Formats: sequence, structure tokens, C-alpha cells
Amino acid sequence: MAVLISSTRSRSIKNSLAKWLITFGGISVLFTLVLIFLYLLYVVKPIFESAKIESKVNISLQLKANEKVLATGVDELQELVYEITDTGNIDFYHLKASDPLAKKQFAVGEHSFSAHLFADDDFKQERVVSIANSFTANKLLHTASGKTLLVQPSFYAEYSNDIRKIIPQVNYPLGQGSLVIDEQQIPLSQLAFAMDEEQIVFVAFTKDKRLIKTNFIADDEFGSSSNGDDVEYETNYQLIDYPVDVVDEIKVTPDLSLAFVRSGSTVRVYSLTDEEEVSLKATITPTLNDNTYLTAMALLSGSSSVLLGDSSGQISQWFEVATDSGRQFKQIRTFDADNENTSQTSSAITAIYTEQFRKSFYTMTTSGMVNVFYTTSSAHLWQGQLTSSQPAAFAIAPRANGLIIIGNDPLDANKRNLQTFSVHNEHPEVTWQALWQEVWYEGYPEPDYIWQSSSGSDDFEAKFSLVPISFGTIKAALYAMLFAVPVALSAAIYTAYFMTPSLRKKVKPTIEMMEALPTVILGFLAGLWLAPLMEEYLPAIFLLFILLPLATVLTAFSWHKLPNKIKDKLPESLAPILLIPVIMLTTYVAFALSPQLEAILFNGDMRQFLTNDLGINFDQRNALVVGIAMGFAVIPTIFTMAEDAIFSVPGHLTNGSLALGATQWQTLVGVVLLTASPGIFSAVMMGLGRAVGETMIVLMATGNTPILDWSIFQGMRTLAANIAVEMPEAEVGSSHYRILFLAAFVLFIFTFIFNTAAEFVRQRLREKYSSM
Amino acid sequence: MISISPKALATGSDPAFSKKLDLNNLAPEQVALDINKLNLFYGKKQALNNITMSIPKGQVTAFIGPSGCGKSTLLRCINRMNDLVDDCHISGEINLHGNNIYNKHVDVAELRRKVGMVFQRPNPFPKTIYENVVYGLRIMGENNRRRLDEAAEQSLRSAALWNEVKDRLHESALGLSGGQQQRLVIARAIAIQPEVLLLDEPTSALDPISTLVIEELINDLKKQFTVVIVTHNMQQAARVSDQTAFMYMGDLIEYSDTNTLFTTPLKKKTEDYITGRYG
Repeated sequence: MAVLISSTRSRSIKNSLAKWLITFGGISVLFTLVLIFLYLLYVVKPIFESAKIESKVNISLQLKANEKVLATGVDELQELVYEITDTGNIDFYHLKASDPLAKKQFAVGEHSFSAHLFADDDFKQERVVSIANSFTANKLLHTASGKTLLVQPSFYAEYSNDIRKIIPQVNYPLGQGSLVIDEQQIPLSQLAFAMDEEQIVFVAFTKDKRLIKTNFIADDEFGSSSNGDDVEYETNYQLIDYPVDVVDEIKVTPDLSLAFVRSGSTVRVYSLTDEEEVSLKATITPTLNDNTYLTAMALLSGSSSVLLGDSSGQISQWFEVATDSGRQFKQIRTFDADNENTSQTSSAITAIYTEQFRKSFYTMTTSGMVNVFYTTSSAHLWQGQLTSSQPAAFAIAPRANGLIIIGNDPLDANKRNLQTFSVHNEHPEVTWQALWQEVWYEGYPEPDYIWQSSSGSDDFEAKFSLVPISFGTIKAALYAMLFAVPVALSAAIYTAYFMTPSLRKKVKPTIEMMEALPTVILGFLAGLWLAPLMEEYLPAIFLLFILLPLATVLTAFSWHKLPNKIKDKLPESLAPILLIPVIMLTTYVAFALSPQLEAILFNGDMRQFLTNDLGINFDQRNALVVGIAMGFAVIPTIFTMAEDAIFSVPGHLTNGSLALGATQWQTLVGVVLLTASPGIFSAVMMGLGRAVGETMIVLMATGNTPILDWSIFQGMRTLAANIAVEMPEAEVGSSHYRILFLAAFVLFIFTFIFNTAAEFVRQRLREKYSSM
Repeated sequence: MISISPKALATGSDPAFSKKLDLNNLAPEQVALDINKLNLFYGKKQALNNITMSIPKGQVTAFIGPSGCGKSTLLRCINRMNDLVDDCHISGEINLHGNNIYNKHVDVAELRRKVGMVFQRPNPFPKTIYENVVYGLRIMGENNRRRLDEAAEQSLRSAALWNEVKDRLHESALGLSGGQQQRLVIARAIAIQPEVLLLDEPTSALDPISTLVIEELINDLKKQFTVVIVTHNMQQAARVSDQTAFMYMGDLIEYSDTNTLFTTPLKKKTEDYITGRYG
């Protein structure tokens, strides 16, 4: 009795232990899946967030009553901010409180350093009337009497006792004396410039209404010394033939190639590349509504696009597009700075400020409303009021994560405020539309789906369209299925239904073993052996697709017709082995015939023939290679499941059909395949799921070209391969990095959809066709 | 202990055939199947020993015997279902219309059209009731809708199923009850108008009421077809058959009209079996 009780007790302990362990295991699997899902979403989420702008620091500037602020700027780390006044003073202020470790203590907003820019006698008692900016930190000061000075407020980091300290500094790249921009030394009403190491180009409109271009060509290099006293350069003056005697705005592209000159609502584009002559390249006349006129112009980072703002609050983006009649400036897209919340009449754009490295821009309207847009993605990122009045100066921090606005104090006209804002706008280029719809990129003739995440040049804009790589995934999977499904299903039907049991016992595990073959081996065989082979013997491959089935059927037929005497010598189970020499011979014949066939049909080279005569591009690593290689990887999956499904069709159903006088073939088609259809369907879907998620083969054999083309002779890039290729080079937290996670998420959804659809259809079929 | 009631025996003997047939000397026109010295081996094991018997036309012949006696094997020989079994060798002949069905040139599919078979477990195909019934006709290439409809109705009526399914011909056959399914399978078998209908323990998977329906059906079927039935159930054999063959260990022990076999068996083994001493 005691034995009985103890055994019952230990049995119940084992029972509950097993129950808990299994429950724990099951729940943790589900939990892990959910965690993966959530982590993917967590990484992806920031790219769909809109911009945030928060006020940070407000500093009251100590200025003389009649002093005007004309420009402002900040260092990369936003520790020091400066403003330049019309009296030629530059003042630096601290934006961050000192580190407690630093010896010298200072507070936020404390004055750090001041300098008077007009050290030279040229500038005695001068007042600055305008400051021209370039995309770099250089500022070109122009005074009322026509004197010009190039200054470069800069910052460098100093490390004392291992504490970083940002030290402000003012450089004069061309010396402290006045620059001669106009030969006749007449004051300028408009001035723009751009510079690189070798030359500086100024385009200016003089008070006596001449449009001029002036070139400084360095003997050595600009910017090599901080005070610029010993810089020597050659000056080159040109008069530009200009039809109108008013100029409202001038912009010079940072690559010194174009000048945009706006007079009213007309923008003329001049090519500056020819040193002898400045030629009119194009005239941009936007179609505007009545009573609407252009009010602002700005160059977008990358120097290809110009942005034009008008009095109705619209901004249009223009860039050069190759058309049938040569390259022309075209309006690409427009942005609306209207107040979205109220239906009040729109106010004019007063200024457009562009970021230094990205295609974002800020607009200011007469009502003081600030709008943030991103051009390529057409995203309207932010809208709001930052200051109560029109700013005296506006600057975007070098890393585009902050804004500096100097405005007037609403209470006291003599007091000026410097306000800083932090900008959270890490992924403006990504919107759902930009990922899945055609986007018109700068320099492209039309909107397109493009995936191009990196490049060698700095002003490159990453292009993230998920369409080509999603397409590639589906294309690769479909070509693989095109090859795998007929082969795998025929093999499954033959093995399960016609093969003798003894042979089946050997064949099935052999094919299943193929599944254990590492796909990396298939991948490099496909990429390094199959692809070149197929390129060389292209006609042979197509010949094989015809000859192999033909030879197989012919062999079967002649075997059928063979007298029994000969048949009996070979056991029936070994008859299929007869096919092996037939297949080998057919393959040999196809390859041997290939050169002749090529000579007769394709003028000696099928590749050339395809490209030249048919206009079909041929990639060495193409869908055909992938279809065959990935087909091989998928065949065992489909074969095993389909074979099981067919084999498990109950014998009494088959017998029932046979007993009604059906032939084997009729029974197969009428009963066996019908009953096995849920299993066969899920086998195919499992194969498709595998092909969609497969990485190594597509990585090595597709060529990884993210193009949208169904052609069998073109490569593709799949989601999985794309992640594998680019993840190592993606900067953590960047848009690229997050989009790769999104690609992973899309892949996850793909397989999820395939599997769910497969399971759903399978259940329906099973309800319909399940046997008793 | 099984006792055979006189009533059961009475239903078994059809008044039309009250005159006993001499099974050893049948006139050629009375014979449906003639089995001659049939031996069957599964590999090296002999399953049927030298079976010789004649099955009369238009009557119900039952094969009885204990499990493994070879009665089902013999039945399956008649439409060559044993061909599907690996390692199965047959010698001897089975003559249908005087032609040996084991002849080289016999088309097995054609033979099975003439000799239909119903299995132990109901095996409707995963199709509609209608499609199940016309399956045999369809594989023969019959696609005329009207002829198919007629055949379906006629077969279902013959199988006593028409009234139950006429309103749901196009629903899945798998929704029918076991007894209905078995009658459907019989309808499917008779739709192609076979000459002989083989029933391999057709009621062993069914409840008593369904069994009764099938048994009544068998009585009707013999007006049109020669029926050969294998059964475990001696009462059933007594109820439905005209002739009964008792088999034991692959031998045909006794073959006579049902009444004689159950009342005055000639062999000791037969008597032992029908009185329940083994089996």
C-alpha cells in the first residue's frame, strides 16, 4: 500500500513538473516572438515621427541703442553662439553652463568673447548694410560706402586637464582690408558669393545697376592662414549682360557653377563655369496666381535645387531635368506654408533657410509662422510660431539639431533677444509615401522607385524606396518556384504513388538530406560556377528545358514498348535508374550543341544577340541563375511535405477508385491529388516562404541590383540580401539603419502573410477534402 | 454460442429459387464466375489453396470463415485487387464469360468495371454526393449531363438512398452518416452497371439499423447483379445469401446452398464453426 501511495505521489509530482515546464517553454517562445516584433517596431518607430522644436535658452543681448544685429551662428556642439552687428562687432555667448570640473565658471547666457571686426583703417566709422552667407560659416560683410570684408567666425576645441573647452575665434581668410569686388568701387545693393579652396566667385548688383561677376583665383590656396594677410590672388572682373535694372536676390551655388538672379517674379540662371563669359542658361518664370509674386529664393543643399517662395505662402522646388530639348529647369513639387489649423488668408514667405547637409528647409512668413519641410519626401514636418515678430537673424545649427533666432523684444524696441531652440528632426527624408511611392530625386528625369543607400560623394542624397527590394524578393521567389514546383511536385507524386516501397525508402531520405545542404554552398556554386557557365552556354540551358522532359518521356515510352524478356532482366524497382544515363547524355548533347546553335541562330553569341538585336539587357547573375539555385534549395521542402501528403492519402480511397475501373492515372488525378491538395498547397506555400526569406543564395547569385524588371536575364536585390549586405555599414540610429529594420519588418510581414494565407487556405481545403 | 433462428433462414431463401441449384453441375448460362484451381501466395506463404468453385448468376453468394481464412483474399482475386499487393503470386484461373481474367491481355480497368467492389469501410471520395455517384461514368468518358443525372438518380434509387439525399446532391459526401456513405458507395459501384458486385464485409463498420438497411438492399440488388459477399457475421450470411462457402486456412471446406450449409453441414469443421466452437 505504501509503495502504491509513494508511486502515486511521485507520479503527480512528475506530472505537474512536466506541465509547468511545457507551459513555461510554450509561453517563452511566444514571448520571444512578441519581443522580436516589438523591438523591430521600437527601432522603426522614430522614422515616422514628425519634427519637434523646443525652446531652450533665451538671452538678452547687450547692445547699443542704435546697433542692429545682422547675422548669428553657433558652433557644432551648440556651446557658443555669436551675433554680428552692423557696427562690426561680434559677440560670443555661452549656451551651456560650465562643467563643474572646469576651473573657470560661467553661466548660460554669459558673455564669452567680443571682437571688433573692423581693425583695418579702411573701415573707420563704417556701418554694415548686408551680410552674405555661403553654405560654409563664412560671412561677407558689406558696408554702406561699398567696403567689403570676409570673416569666418570659428571654433576650436582645447583640452586642458582632459576637459574640452570650445574657444571662439574670428578668422579673416582674405585679410582684414577691404576687398575690391567692383572694379569701379561703387556700393553694392545685392551681393552673393561662394568659395572653395581655389577660388571665390562674387556675383553682385551695383547701385548703378550693373550685374557683375568677380573671381578671386588663389595663387596658392584660400584659408591656409587664419588672418589671411599673406594670401595672394588674382582678380578677374566681368560685366554680366542683364536686361532689368532691379535685382532682388542673388544666389551662387557652392560648386561655383551657377548664379540665380531674381528680379521680381523672374529668376535668371547664369552659368559661371566659363571664365571668359557669363552666359544666361535658363529663365525660370513660375506660373503664379494673380496678385502673387515671388518673395524669397534659396538654394537647397547639394546646389542642384532652387526654392522659390511667393506671396501666397507657396514654395516651389526647381531643378534641372534632362528633357528631349536638352536640360531644363522644371518645377518639381510645391509646398504650402499655409496655416493648416486656421483658414485665414495665407501670408507671404519672407525668408527660406536651408540646412547645410540635408534637403530640409525652414520658411518664415509675414505672420511669423515657421514651417519646416523636407523636399524629397514632400514632408511638412513642423509648423508653429517661434518668435513674436520677424527675426533680425536666423541660423540653423551645423548639425541641424538647433535653431538660433534673434528677435526684437516685444516690450522694449531697444532690447534684443537671442533664443535657441532644439530641433528633433532626425529622419525627415523618410515618410511612408517616400518608401512606397515614386519619388522625384534631384537630377532624375522623372519620379522613380530607387534604392541607393550610399555613395562616394558628400552631397549625395540617400534614396530609400522599399519597392525595388520588395519586388526583388518576390521576383526571386517566383522564379525559384517556377523551377522548383514542377520538379518537386512531379518527384513527390512519383515517389509517393508510383515508386516501389523499397526504392522509396532510399529516395526519400536522400532528397530530404539535400535540405541540410548549407545554402551558402549553393549560393557560391550558383554565383561562381553556374552563372559563368550559363553565360557561356546560354543556348544549352534553354535547350535543356526542352530536351530533358522530351528525353524522359521518350525513354519511358521506349521502356514501355520493350519486350518483357528484356524488361524482366532488370528488376522493376531499378527501372527509374535507367534515366540517369539518359539525363547525362542529354545534358552533354545540349552543351555540345550549344556553340553550333549559337552560331546558327544567334550570330555566334546569344548574349550579344539578346542585347543588340532584341534589346534585352543581360546580367551574368540573373533571375535564371537564382531560379535554379534557389529552386534547388526549395525543392526538398516542397518535395518532403507534398510526398507525405500524397503518400498519406488513405489506401481505401485509392482502392475505391481503382475498383470502379479507374486507371492509376485517373485515380491519381481524380482522387489522390484532390485528397492531398491541402498538403500539397501548404508544401508549395512553405517553399514560397522559404524562398522569400532565403538570404545566402540571393546574396551571392543575384548581383544585388535593386532594379524593377521582370526580365529573366536581369538580377535583383531582395529584402533579406539587402539587410545582410547593408547592415554592417549602416550607422546605428541613422535613417538607413532604421529603414533596414523596417525592411526586416516588411520581410517578417511577408512571411507572416504567406504563412497565414497558406494556413487559412489549407484549413479550408482540409475541411473540404479531408478523408474520414 | 450462436443459434440460427428458422426465421432468419427463411428470409435467406428466396421463393424464386426454392429449387436448389446443383452447385457442382451448373449449366453454363447459370454461371457468373468460374474459379478453377486458384492458388495464391503472399511471398512464400500460401493464402489460397487450390480453390475451385462456380458462382451462380443473379444470386447472393457468401464467403464465411474465421479471420485469416482467405475469404477476403478470394474476393479480391475476382476483380484483381490483389495485383496492387506487392509480392503476390497467383496461379489457376477465374473465368468470367469463359474468359480467364488473369489472361495477359485482359484490361484490368475494364475488368473492374464489370466486377464492382464495395469495401469494409465506407470510402466516399472527398467530392459531392453527385460527383461520387457519377465518378465511374466520368472516368469512362461520359460527360453528357443528362445521362449522368439519370444514372445518378437511378443508382441512388437502387441503393435506397435517393429519398435521403435528393435535396443535397451537391453537398459533400463526407457529411453523410456511415450507413448512408456505405449505400452511396454501393450506388457508385452500381452506377457503372457491373455484372458482379463484390461486397467485402460491407456492414462491419456500421450500426445495426444501417446493417439492416444494407441487408435489405442486397436482397434487391441480386435481381440485377450477381452479388458476392464476404461476412464475419454468420447470421448475416444466413439472412442474405443463397449460397454459402465456408473457408478455413485457405481451403474451401464446404460450399452449398445456405440452407443446407447452416442446417446440415457435411463437414465437421463447418459444423464446429457455425456452432461457434471457434472463429
